Amino acid sequence: MDIGLTFQQLLNGLSIGCVYAIFALGYTLIFSILRIINFAHASVFTLGAYFTYFLIGGKFGFNGLLSNGQLPFALPFLIALVVGAVLAGLVSMAIEQLAFKPLRNRGADPLLTLVSSLGVAIVVVNVIQYLVGAEIYAFPSSVLSGLPAAVNFGNADRAIPIRTIQIVILAVSVVIMIGLTLLVERTRTGKALKAIAEDATVAGLLGINADRLIMATFFLSGFVGGLAGTLVGLSVSIAGPYFGIAFGLKGLAVIVLGGLGSIPGSILGGLLIGLAEAFVPSSAIAIKEAVPFAILFLVLIVRPQGLMGRSLVQKV
Amino acid sequence: MVAMVLAATLALSLYLPLMSGQLSLATPGFYAIGGYVAAILSTKVIHVTGPYPIPLILGEMILAGAGCGVLAVLIGVPALRLRGVYLALATIAFVEIVRVLSLTVEFTGGAIGIFNIPQPFVTANGIEYLLIALPMLICAALFVYRLERIGVGRALVAIREDELAADAVGINPTRYKVLSFAMGAMLAGAVGALSAHFLNTWNARQGTFDASIAVLAFVLIGGSRSFVGPIVGAMVLTALPEGLRAVAGIGELPVWLATLLRDGRVIIYGLLIVICTLNFPQGLIAPRQPVRKAVKSS
Repeated sequence: MDIGLTFQQLLNGLSIGCVYAIFALGYTLIFSILRIINFAHASVFTLGAYFTYFLIGGKFGFNGLLSNGQLPFALPFLIALVVGAVLAGLVSMAIEQLAFKPLRNRGADPLLTLVSSLGVAIVVVNVIQYLVGAEIYAFPSSVLSGLPAAVNFGNADRAIPIRTIQIVILAVSVVIMIGLTLLVERTRTGKALKAIAEDATVAGLLGINADRLIMATFFLSGFVGGLAGTLVGLSVSIAGPYFGIAFGLKGLAVIVLGGLGSIPGSILGGLLIGLAEAFVPSSAIAIKEAVPFAILFLVLIVRPQGLMGRSLVQKV
Repeated sequence: MVAMVLAATLALSLYLPLMSGQLSLATPGFYAIGGYVAAILSTKVIHVTGPYPIPLILGEMILAGAGCGVLAVLIGVPALRLRGVYLALATIAFVEIVRVLSLTVEFTGGAIGIFNIPQPFVTANGIEYLLIALPMLICAALFVYRLERIGVGRALVAIREDELAADAVGINPTRYKVLSFAMGAMLAGAVGALSAHFLNTWNARQGTFDASIAVLAFVLIGGSRSFVGPIVGAMVLTALPEGLRAVAGIGELPVWLATLLRDGRVIIYGLLIVICTLNFPQGLIAPRQPVRKAVKSS
């Protein structure tokens, strides 16, 4: 086997796996506290990419309502990335207020919340399509100006080029993963979140403002999701309003594989699925898209609690 | 009209597993498989000149239904040990696997799909399909109506209300859940087989995540606690885009509103799903006797 090729596949797998992981962390943050799966997260991911694209002065096509729309100014990429993610976080907070809070206050079945978030996802995605059309948008290659397009990990006569963007993705993802883990494990906020997850009412009695922390969690989840969206958009392109949904479905495979609600589980699951996809032989490339779902199905049947999840105890 | 009746039957196929409290989004997967069965049989296996004989369509529908039923049992036995969210996830995975496979495998025609599926009727709008679709809907509705009144149906409802309690009084939850899942799959397969002829062409777009959402909207908006709900919900929501299009054609409306009315079918479905879950968790057509609020189990 060609060592260079294997190395390339490995890095490809790690880089896409990292994106899956930080994407899935958005699901996990919310699931670990509220025990619900927020399907709208996939649409927030998409929104993040579109926001950033718009903020760096990107122009929209002629199909949507905002045809040929363009900002009168253009932000530098790094600022646009952060502002885009913040905007995505704010949208996520708004979704929580509109579609989750009423159900939570009523103590509704988690399945109803799932259905409601599905509805939100569909609305957001189609509003994007309605506003800016279904075209593919690509970030101009100049956004990472100053960096070479690829870094050579081999030597002069045996080149092993790795795209710079993949290294950027890898670095950003690692920072986010470490940051989130520290936040949950090492800070007072993290402790408060765990208390809410255990029992929101008791946490409230102990002086923890549950509503505010839940909103903060949604903001964080949207922020991370929006960031992941931009990174993927940068790496491939923004393949129309539905590209987040495809990612969202794969993200489900990631969180189930890792164990619902477990932060290290999401990271591990993301990396494993990214690697599994990268090592699908090129002769079977057509079925690559089915790999995460086959894994999801198998995990659900063999070990529903996932790799790192606690086993499920059913209470009466 | 035909589309309305077909959608209503499809909604019933999602209602069946829901009777036992299982949110299964697998319907479009089985619908797609049923369609492929009919499309492949009628274009590649059987060659008939002239109008396609109706008994053959009925045969295809039975075959598709039976095939989907067997598949549903095979999938259902392991998958239905899962509960709630996990089952919904597994069925989403199933739909995606079916979609990717039908895009890849050769005999389904890949991304292009299968064309020129023979038609039994000659008129352009295919209104005669009602001759098959309407009896199918009526039979399915009668079946569900009867089912709710015999032991099996009561067992399903018992599982929906409280699975542990049902288990404790001697109902085998897995068996009944698989049964309701398989019945839904058979119905979806049969609808798919008929739709393939009606639509004349069949491809992987027939069974997507969006389709899952649409059928779910039919059931939720109509009401998930009585079989009349899904039927009414499906008929209204299938007719809705046509109605909106007519409104959009009136003119005098601002451009953005007209476009929204014309192309915003899915946005409206999504909004309706959210509004209905928030405000009418029982659907617009609530069951006659009030169901007491289920004890919250976590």
